[in-house]
Amino acid sequence: MLDSSPRLDLPQGTLDLLILKAIALDPQHGWAISERIQQISNNVLQVNQGSLYPALHRLERRGWIKAEWDVSDNNRRAKYYELTKKGRKQLEQQTDAWRTLTAAIGLLLDHA
Amino acid sequence: MLSDLLFRLRALVRGRTMERELDEELRFHVEHAIEKYVASGVPRDEAIRRARLMFGGVDRIKEECRDARGVAFVEGVLQDLRYGVRTLRRAPIFSITAIVTIALSTAALATVCTLAYTLFYRRLPVDRPEQLVVVTATRGRPGIDAAEGLVAFPDYVAFRDRTKTLSDLAAHYPTAPLFVTANGNAKELNGAVVSANFFPLLGVQPALGRFFHPNEDQVPERDRVAVLSHNLWRTWFGASSEAIGALVRINGVDFTVIGVAPPTFSGVGIYPAEIYIPTMMLGVGYRWCESSLGPTCTILEMMGRLAPGRTSADAQAELPTLMPASWAHAPKDENSGIKVLPQRGTTTDESQMRLVRILVGVAIVLLLVCAANLAGLLRAQSSARAGEFAIRLSLGAASGRVIRQVMTESLIPAFAGGAAGVLLSQAFIGALAAMFYAVDDEGHPMVFDFSLTPAIVMIVIGAALAAGFLFSVGPAMKVVRRGGLVHADARSGTTRWSSGAWLLGAQAAVAVALVAVTALLAVSAHGATAGTNFEASHVALMRLRPRLMKYPPERAQRFQREVVQRLEAMPGVDSVSLVGIGAILGGGRAMVGLPEWTVDQRVRVNYNEVAPRYFETLRTPLLAGREFDARDSVSSPRVAIVNETLARRVWPALSGVEGPALSGVIGATIVVRNVPHRVVGLVKDVPLQTRTEDAQPWIYAPFWQNPQQVDSRLAIRVAGDPAAMLPMLVHEVNRVDPDVPIAETITLPIQIAGWIRPLRVSATFIGYAAALAMLLTAIGLYGTLAFAVSRRTKEIGIRMALGAARARVLRQVVREGMTVVTAGVIAGLGLAAAGARLVTHLLYGSAAADWIFYLAAALLVSAVGFLASVMPARRAAAVEPLVALRCE
Repeated sequence: MLDSSPRLDLPQGTLDLLILKAIALDPQHGWAISERIQQISNNVLQVNQGSLYPALHRLERRGWIKAEWDVSDNNRRAKYYELTKKGRKQLEQQTDAWRTLTAAIGLLLDHA
Repeated sequence: MLSDLLFRLRALVRGRTMERELDEELRFHVEHAIEKYVASGVPRDEAIRRARLMFGGVDRIKEECRDARGVAFVEGVLQDLRYGVRTLRRAPIFSITAIVTIALSTAALATVCTLAYTLFYRRLPVDRPEQLVVVTATRGRPGIDAAEGLVAFPDYVAFRDRTKTLSDLAAHYPTAPLFVTANGNAKELNGAVVSANFFPLLGVQPALGRFFHPNEDQVPERDRVAVLSHNLWRTWFGASSEAIGALVRINGVDFTVIGVAPPTFSGVGIYPAEIYIPTMMLGVGYRWCESSLGPTCTILEMMGRLAPGRTSADAQAELPTLMPASWAHAPKDENSGIKVLPQRGTTTDESQMRLVRILVGVAIVLLLVCAANLAGLLRAQSSARAGEFAIRLSLGAASGRVIRQVMTESLIPAFAGGAAGVLLSQAFIGALAAMFYAVDDEGHPMVFDFSLTPAIVMIVIGAALAAGFLFSVGPAMKVVRRGGLVHADARSGTTRWSSGAWLLGAQAAVAVALVAVTALLAVSAHGATAGTNFEASHVALMRLRPRLMKYPPERAQRFQREVVQRLEAMPGVDSVSLVGIGAILGGGRAMVGLPEWTVDQRVRVNYNEVAPRYFETLRTPLLAGREFDARDSVSSPRVAIVNETLARRVWPALSGVEGPALSGVIGATIVVRNVPHRVVGLVKDVPLQTRTEDAQPWIYAPFWQNPQQVDSRLAIRVAGDPAAMLPMLVHEVNRVDPDVPIAETITLPIQIAGWIRPLRVSATFIGYAAALAMLLTAIGLYGTLAFAVSRRTKEIGIRMALGAARARVLRQVVREGMTVVTAGVIAGLGLAAAGARLVTHLLYGSAAADWIFYLAAALLVSAVGFLASVMPARRAAAVEPLVALRCE
């Protein structure tokens, strides 16, 4: 990759969770999703652009998000993704699971 | 799950729209990325470059999105298909070659599959045929001398009345020779003697009238009722309803027609039944028992229908417990067991299965050869397209996607070829049926249902697709191994074709093996039909059956003598003779021995009773002594003629003796069927055994010394064409006595052809395979060399510019071709020897001259290979150096 900054590549399987989180508040288009993930994580997390769109399509197929074409801020047509009910439930579940997991790993790293 | 499916479906249906949307979405993303770089001060050009790099291959992302949508596969295949058809249209010669060769090889497979299905698996065209079982008596010891037996009427009744696993059991005698006179016609027809429950059990409904009532099959000889086949009703009665109630004379007895069988049903065997009579009339249909319904007259077959919920295993468990008590301690050549098998196919004969297995093997080899051939051509074709594939790969297309494209392009001609092969097989199977399965060795018509079934269509198309997969997998992998590298040397001189050489060599090897085996089979068949130590040509045959008309022996013999006299007096007839047992060149068995031997020492040999001039008529050389003649009568001393093998087998002093010394047997005494006979003649062996069988001992006794003689078979040597002569011969016999049924009017070569049917079937089929394998080898060699030459035009041009002679270029290309061919031919000779071993059991005659056929096959395939190499070589030699150098 070109950007060889101290950014971390996403751990396996977390991209879905981050996407769901990124559009939890309001619908976003793909570019905005990748930007948001990068910004909120203080530029630590780097979304691999190549895997973003396949992930979006996969989530759409699972019915967790749905897509709609809308006009973007600079007046261009863009595809906006928003959470479905099913997606929101997934987000909650996966968030809980992630918390439990990181807590457990944290404990292990601190004490073992 | 449902929404998932709907999404995929929508994605599929709206494929084009979604594709456009995906483009737009990705473009939107890239533009934002560029704007971001520009905003941070990167020059626009660099920004564009970075954005694109960051994004990676657009193609791959699209591909993964399609995968994520779950439609990529179907969508991609459709796209591949469209693209494949376009590509194939651009390369019509490759496409046509592929489709035609696959069609020719799958047609062979479809033909053997149909043959195998009909012979071994097809069920009867009746009601719920899967419930039908064939119940057969067995004799001898399992695995040692086991044989199938027929049953007597009381045995059948015992099973029928006590079985609980079968809802019903019918008895039938499916090959009753019935001499039928009706409506001005008279002919010996194949009839069936059936129990009254036969038609109800099968669920067959009459086309007209009715079938037998149970009470018409209860009292012996009382109810003279008959059912006509649909065919006989049409041809003899003009399909008139008047046929019901009409009188038909069957073997001299008047019967009333009560019904007509439907056109879809022609009995349960391979011999179509033209007329049916009830079992109580068995005495009319079978003349060889004193009491045809008694316990010793074993002539009936049995067919049962399983009771609801029962399997044939249940019946197999039950029926042996119902066997007549006498079966428990039966002598070894009488019924002692019972076997229940589902009714399928027309035969359970192991030798036919073996034959069909060989043919299936050949068909599969042929398909593999075809696949190898196409792999070679496709390799050449896809090398030509290496640039295209390289570009697609470097643009980021998944390698799996490119592999799939190459394969789809192969599967299209494979499918088309398979479908065409199925259609073509209809012509093949028709020809095979007409040549080999229409008439048996006695001239009786046979019917086989060789119609296509969905299962065969699927198997054959499946095999074609498998072949398509095989021949494309190599080239496809090659495309990917090259990876994204633009194939730099694809257009310049160094590409060799040696990678496909082994495939070509293998094709040549298979071609040699098939040609050699074909030659062995065909020459053997020709030799067997022509005859060794006899001459089959110019011999007409017929069978006289006064027994059907209940002629007593004296009257029958008077008739036979007159027939011989009258026929011998005919112009164009050289000689006439008779045999009493079995066919001409056939016969029965007898126990023979020397007078001093005990009964246990006697040996079982082949035996027939022959009239004077038998060996003269067949042109079998008499080594010593004389033929039977007018001296040998019922009142004169018993005499016999033996063949060489018998003389060597019986007289210890002659064991291993060859030639004139064997004539020592003349005058010796031999006991035949317990009666001492004096040997008056020694004849040469007539080798009718295959290479895996031993020479057969034969002994002959005079036809006229048996006072019981009634029926006979005639051998008539004529000057001209025996087939053309037969109607006149029949007419002459009819003039002696118009009431005596004449049957089996054929020629000796046709009878022998029937005997050696497996040999002829395999010669024809393997011959076809051999021709196709040679054609494929030629196509493969030509295609590969022509391609190599076109790729090396520049190299050849340079060499010629540097002074290479045209002849030398020509030689070099031919040498390349012939190196492969020669290697293949040498391997093929080994393969041919192995193949010949597989068919030894079919071959007649000596193996001494086999090497000639191997040599001929090697030369033939080499010559074909040479021709296929010379054509591209001439093109190479015609290269103009300057043009060649300029063309890059």
